[in-house]
Amino acid sequence: MIRNYLKTALRSFQKNRFFTFINLVGLTIGFTCCILMGLYIQNELNYDRFQQKGKRIARVIMAYSFGEKINKGNYTSTKVAPVFKRNFPEVESAVRMYQSGRIVKFEDKVFNEKKFMYADSTFFDLFSFRLRQGNTSSALAGPNKIVLTETTARRYFGNTNPVGKTLLINASQTPYLITGIIQDCPENSQIKFDFLASFSSMGNIQEKTYWNANYTTYLLLRDENSFTSLQNKIPGFMKKEMADQPNTYVSFELEPFTKIHLYSPYPGFEPNNSITYIYIICAVALLILFIACFTYINLGTASSIERAKEVGVRKVLGADKWQVFWQHIGESILLCLISVVISLILVAMALPWFNGLADKHISYSALFTPLNLSFLLSVWIIVSFAGGSYPAMVLSGFQPIKVLKGLFRNSSSGLMVRKSLIVFQFMISVFLIIATLVIQQQMKYIRSKNLGYEREHVLLLPLDQKMLENYPTIKTELKKQTGILAVSRAVSNPTLIEGGYHMRSDAMPPDGIVSVTASPVDEEYVRTTGLQLVAGSDLTQQDMENADELKHPENPAYQFILNESAARELGWSAQAAIGKKMFLGDDRPGYVKAVIKDFHFRSLHNKIEPLVLFPSSWSSQMLVKLDGNNLSLAITGIGELWKKMVPHRPFEYRFMDDAFNELYESENRLAKVLSVFAGIAILLACLGLLGLSSFAAQQRIKEIGIRKVLGASLFQIVKILSKEFILLALLAFLLAFPIGWWAVNRWLQDFSYRITVHWSVFAITGISTITLALFTVAFRAIRAARSNPAKSLRTE
Amino acid sequence: MIQLEKIYKWHNNGNNRVFILKDINLSIEEGAFISIMGPSGSGKSSLLNIIGMLDEASEGNYRFLGQDVFQIKEKQRSELYKQNIGFVFQAYHLIDELTVYENIETPLLYQKIRTAERQSMVADMLDRFNIVGKKDLFPSQLSGGQQQLVGIARALIAKPKLLLADEPTGNLNSKQGEEIMELFKKINEEEGVTIIQVTHSEKNAAYGKQIINLLDGRIEKK
Repeated sequence: MIRNYLKTALRSFQKNRFFTFINLVGLTIGFTCCILMGLYIQNELNYDRFQQKGKRIARVIMAYSFGEKINKGNYTSTKVAPVFKRNFPEVESAVRMYQSGRIVKFEDKVFNEKKFMYADSTFFDLFSFRLRQGNTSSALAGPNKIVLTETTARRYFGNTNPVGKTLLINASQTPYLITGIIQDCPENSQIKFDFLASFSSMGNIQEKTYWNANYTTYLLLRDENSFTSLQNKIPGFMKKEMADQPNTYVSFELEPFTKIHLYSPYPGFEPNNSITYIYIICAVALLILFIACFTYINLGTASSIERAKEVGVRKVLGADKWQVFWQHIGESILLCLISVVISLILVAMALPWFNGLADKHISYSALFTPLNLSFLLSVWIIVSFAGGSYPAMVLSGFQPIKVLKGLFRNSSSGLMVRKSLIVFQFMISVFLIIATLVIQQQMKYIRSKNLGYEREHVLLLPLDQKMLENYPTIKTELKKQTGILAVSRAVSNPTLIEGGYHMRSDAMPPDGIVSVTASPVDEEYVRTTGLQLVAGSDLTQQDMENADELKHPENPAYQFILNESAARELGWSAQAAIGKKMFLGDDRPGYVKAVIKDFHFRSLHNKIEPLVLFPSSWSSQMLVKLDGNNLSLAITGIGELWKKMVPHRPFEYRFMDDAFNELYESENRLAKVLSVFAGIAILLACLGLLGLSSFAAQQRIKEIGIRKVLGASLFQIVKILSKEFILLALLAFLLAFPIGWWAVNRWLQDFSYRITVHWSVFAITGISTITLALFTVAFRAIRAARSNPAKSLRTE
Repeated sequence: MIQLEKIYKWHNNGNNRVFILKDINLSIEEGAFISIMGPSGSGKSSLLNIIGMLDEASEGNYRFLGQDVFQIKEKQRSELYKQNIGFVFQAYHLIDELTVYENIETPLLYQKIRTAERQSMVADMLDRFNIVGKKDLFPSQLSGGQQQLVGIARALIAKPKLLLADEPTGNLNSKQGEEIMELFKKINEEEGVTIIQVTHSEKNAAYGKQIINLLDGRIEKK
């Protein structure tokens, strides 16, 4: 029996090649999308889950304020970990960590290592990274000890054992003793490193302040349920600790380690994802699968006319309703199986592309876990039933006599179901297209918005302590090169300036301080980045010298550059601010030298806030403005100079443009992912429409014949056949319109600076959807209209 | 074997009741060969379908082999039908996707007959109808006469007591038609299969032992 069904199924697939092909394409795309997105979601949900003690680990978030506004950040000072461990019995252990770029040298190998992590020796108490060689209790105990991951060890030492050898770290070439080899960090871990060095290597680590918050602190609690009880004790405890600083507020909040990646607003060592995006992706995956199913249902029912005779005959030969039903469910299962198998091949092929799109390293083998396979199995069966049962029900309900006598008419109620499915499919497509268009417009707005600085042709170069000693020479040499307009050094470039300070004007009482972002710059910063002076004049060489903390350790004199918001905050107009006395922090008194136009020094999610730029010798990057005439020549020139002047560091540069784009990585990714899936959705919806219109054309073939005999033109017939479906697409558009409107505006709320959604988005979406629908329907309608009436009107 | 009493069949067309069959009383013994004749729309096929349990009457009683067809449960009726009735159509109605062999085999599948037995039964039938050489062909590769031969073979494979044929020669030329009629006669005489056929042709009707004429849903004369 099964064999008979199987043969029938395969032969009817072959006979109805057109429908089978569309079904296979639709289902395969649906399954492929689902598998890919399922893998992605699984990967994200499993983030950090390999940490055996993960549920007991807390990350410490610092909350501080100098007045009304409370600032929060994912950094703490070095004091938190030891103090908390001593004072709170709930804390079993604590680790402080710090990640930074370091120059690593071994014999002739020199690399600029980005994943260089410092951690207390308690690291191994908290985290489940296995040491392949070395001892967890001693590997990080004491300064200048370092552990390498397996891959890193191979990179530097090949197959020889590195334990006991020394690496030279940074410009100072401090020797670090290699004390162990650690497993490579899993891909889905918020803690990733190539090198793990002892925290004590960084020197003065037992600072007695809660300020200087530059480090990440993780606590290991004795009990995973004691988060709340510990959290409740902290504010009171900190009040006592900060008793000597009455104008400030410092407290700490605990974040469950396993929730950081998807729920925390503060990134870890690795960028976070958002649970909202996971929900969006989950929803899109389900929608795509729905659309594929709907297409399948539609085509299945549509082609039922062709199968009607067979069903009739089988019933006459003794098949009962259920046998017919199961036969067609079986076919559905078979078709879906073929789709699943093709999908598995496609997934293997698409995974590298998808990994690039999603910035992941998901391996194909991740798919073949018992859990995933059983999930895939259930999706296969569910789709087989969901897609196959309606057509199977329709077919099994046929009355053999009517079918065989050619009296067969499809019930109009069935048509209702299929039309609703089409409308729903188009709604989803329209919605996705609107979302994609708006997101792309917002991204275009971000790219083209005048941010108040010039980010083109600005090269960013690292600047370390050793280079700083030699900085005047480096700068002079650089400026001799052709094509270089300006050279500046600073801590931050204008794409993203962070650094929490407080300030007050001389007129304000000492406790009237306000929060402000501030960053050290030099006298060419304004020129290099194209910031616009509104009042006053730029910093000078002399201003830099006067502010140099090394040359004037007792009384450095500061000249400040304020943005308009900062001047306003202190109660001055731009003009009035010049020459006024003010204080930045507690230890930087000075005068306002210039006011610059407000510019976007954070992503457009944030409003422009007060900003102070102050002269300082402290800096970590060089900004080089090129004239842009011959970029590659200029860069080659800088590279050659670099080799001479900075032999201890490989030449690495990036453009400020790229730094800018990184701010919007997750939005850019969302835009890319959505446009891909919107395309797929509309393709599937069109397939569904193609199916339904073919069905209608088939059903009305006699009517068409008669109309042709009576003299209807090709166009008139196409119009008759298409009208109904165009109306369906229009209805779908009208239904999707408000949902799309609501959703995109919700998304745009996250941007302080955003586009207003223009009606043209909806017009474009509407016109393109309906045009596409029209083409799809016309494709079959024209074929039907051109059929020979003599054939269609011939009686049995 | 078959007793029809006061069989009525109608459709409601708006407020009008359109009668297809009116007051049909008929008794058919086992081994009979009956031809039903009548003009288009006289209810021939409807009567055949009711006898063949593909359709129900609007009113009346139908006993088949002692069982009340309209009263028994769907499942029992289905069993009764599968065991005893074979159908032959004017348009052959072979399953296009199946070969000659598979078409003939299909009714046996629905009766859950074991593979070995099935094979020998189909082989016998192919042999008897002289179509062994065509067993792997698809219906579209056969002539009309050959297709109808397969249709009859398929109808007879489950050894039914009753063979119902709805204009079995309607799509065939006269020579092919004659062959089919000879075959019917042989089946009826040698194997005792009861045959009821609907036909337009006087000549073919004459192969039957008894002719029933229908006019406007009534039996005209016996």
